[in-house]
Amino acid sequence: MNALSLHLRPFLQLDKARPAALLLAAVLISIAVAVQCGAVPVQGSDWLAVLGLADQPTATAGSYVLWSIRLPRALFAVLIGASLGMAGALTQGLFRNPLADPGLLGVSAGAACAVALTIVVFAGFNWPIPLAWRVWVLPAAAFCGALAVCFTLDGVARWITPGSIAGLLLTGVALNAMAAAVIGLCTYLANDEQLRNLSFWTLGSLAGANWALVALLSVLLGAATWRVRQLVRAMNALALGESAAAHVGVDVRHLRRNVIVLVALLAGFSAAWCGMIGFIGLIAPHLVRTWVGADQRKLLPLSMLAGGLLLLLADTVARTVAIPAEIPVGIFTALLGSPFFLLLLRSARSRIG
Amino acid sequence: MLMQTKPSTVLLVLDAAAVTLGPLPFGPFSMTVRAGERIAILGPSGAGKSTLLTLMSGERTPASGQVQLLGRRLSTWSLPERAGVRAVLPQSSEVAFGLPVELVIGLGRVARDHDPQLDSIVQQSASLARAAHLLGRRFDTLSGGERARVQMARVFAQLWGVNDGLILVDEPLSALDPGLQLDLLDSMDAYAAQRGHAVVAILHDINHAVLGFDRLWLVANGQLVGDLACAADAVPALEALYGIKLTCMTTEQGDLVITPTRRLSRHAAQESMAVAA
Repeated sequence: MNALSLHLRPFLQLDKARPAALLLAAVLISIAVAVQCGAVPVQGSDWLAVLGLADQPTATAGSYVLWSIRLPRALFAVLIGASLGMAGALTQGLFRNPLADPGLLGVSAGAACAVALTIVVFAGFNWPIPLAWRVWVLPAAAFCGALAVCFTLDGVARWITPGSIAGLLLTGVALNAMAAAVIGLCTYLANDEQLRNLSFWTLGSLAGANWALVALLSVLLGAATWRVRQLVRAMNALALGESAAAHVGVDVRHLRRNVIVLVALLAGFSAAWCGMIGFIGLIAPHLVRTWVGADQRKLLPLSMLAGGLLLLLADTVARTVAIPAEIPVGIFTALLGSPFFLLLLRSARSRIG
Repeated sequence: MLMQTKPSTVLLVLDAAAVTLGPLPFGPFSMTVRAGERIAILGPSGAGKSTLLTLMSGERTPASGQVQLLGRRLSTWSLPERAGVRAVLPQSSEVAFGLPVELVIGLGRVARDHDPQLDSIVQQSASLARAAHLLGRRFDTLSGGERARVQMARVFAQLWGVNDGLILVDEPLSALDPGLQLDLLDSMDAYAAQRGHAVVAILHDINHAVLGFDRLWLVANGQLVGDLACAADAVPALEALYGIKLTCMTTEQGDLVITPTRRLSRHAAQESMAVAA
């Protein structure tokens, strides 16, 4: 392909599909490797048993671990990572800013804050919620918390100098601090059981993975991807700036509202099911952007794959590095992500003002 | 020229359109733009030129009065509909993330759902805006002048297959060197004339207005103070507008050149303002 060839059609062309194919292959290989790792060894016969090809249908310990623990966990890690990667890419596109991230801006913290309030304060009200709906209480609360933070950020980003990175990040600092205070208050007020639930959220862990969650998350992510596909051309136009985007015919207000709801949905539900896992949403889009460029039509799907891959690797290391103990993956991503963010700040210092 | 050979459609009508920003009233503006017209908006900084342009583009809704595009109230046009007949070239243009140049140009046509000719239109607009050699590069690696060319190509792409459209331009030439300024004025002119587009441009250089435009709108203190043909007899009004003394010369090719000579005293400026009025 020569330099003048135009990559404007939304069709998959060979050179466009290659990064996606590479990443997808990497994800699949990582899943295969990840499920081998852990305290209980997994043999080839266990794989056959899981796939229903074994001669004798007796369940071994290995096949049980593989089917009920490791496979859902690996898939859950990929799906959560993909949600975070997409949420990060959407946030960066929305604020036209490569340093924006749902974690740094307080969206995840807002979700965790709403979850903490639900666990500690609203649980005391004993509202008559049907049993079948209870699974959805925490995700719904997290979604509302994330949504509130997103709209606050959007409003603030508007009355602070538009496009100011510093203003946006400082708003994130304030919102994070506020959320931390509320979570701290909840911790102070909580009883023992509530405290155990709470620390799960503040640390961030994928230990709650099961097949039901994997299915739910797949549906959610599929729906989000379908919606993003419709918005992605307009997302590119947003890079021109709001008024120029409006001039070429993009309804910016409608677009912003849609993107905000999507970010809140992805970041909020991720936070509800596995706590605060930071920096995936910052790193994944950044790596993809340096690799294939900033075109949102490539950036968004590839960020999902990259996010899934990153979180799967991080989670596999986090749960195997100190067997039999397991480090919460949120701690791990923060340990790795913070230096990365500092490096990013360094390279972006000319644009911060 | 094309616009003189056929009866020209009324594109845009400003009907006593006025808006107030903070304590400053702008307007009421009452003007008509016909297809194929080339109008330059001149006036001192802060006079309200950009505000007038945002009223015309629909970015700002007038608080009183109305703006009509092709006989229909502008506020009833959807954004994609507007984008199909009028393009805006902004004053300063940052593009986030360093998108590829061909994508930035193609974004001019983002509101079209089905656009099979996109690639070739992007190529042609880029050539017309002297930006063909920039295709394949990242926008954030370009110089100011190169960015202005890419943005102009984006505007060309937006109204490529359209006739009798409207191009609104907010000070496009300030980042460019003199040769390129004239090149781009020429390509804008050729592009607009072929399609019968009207061009309304905010300019800072009187000579650019004289070279490429037929009509002058003079704006001062949020009001339209003059709507006149672009010719040598516009000079007294221009002197009053900027408060400067201007000298006219005619080159051997017959082009009019206007240069400032010295600043008038405030008293003299007021006097000539009274004369012009």
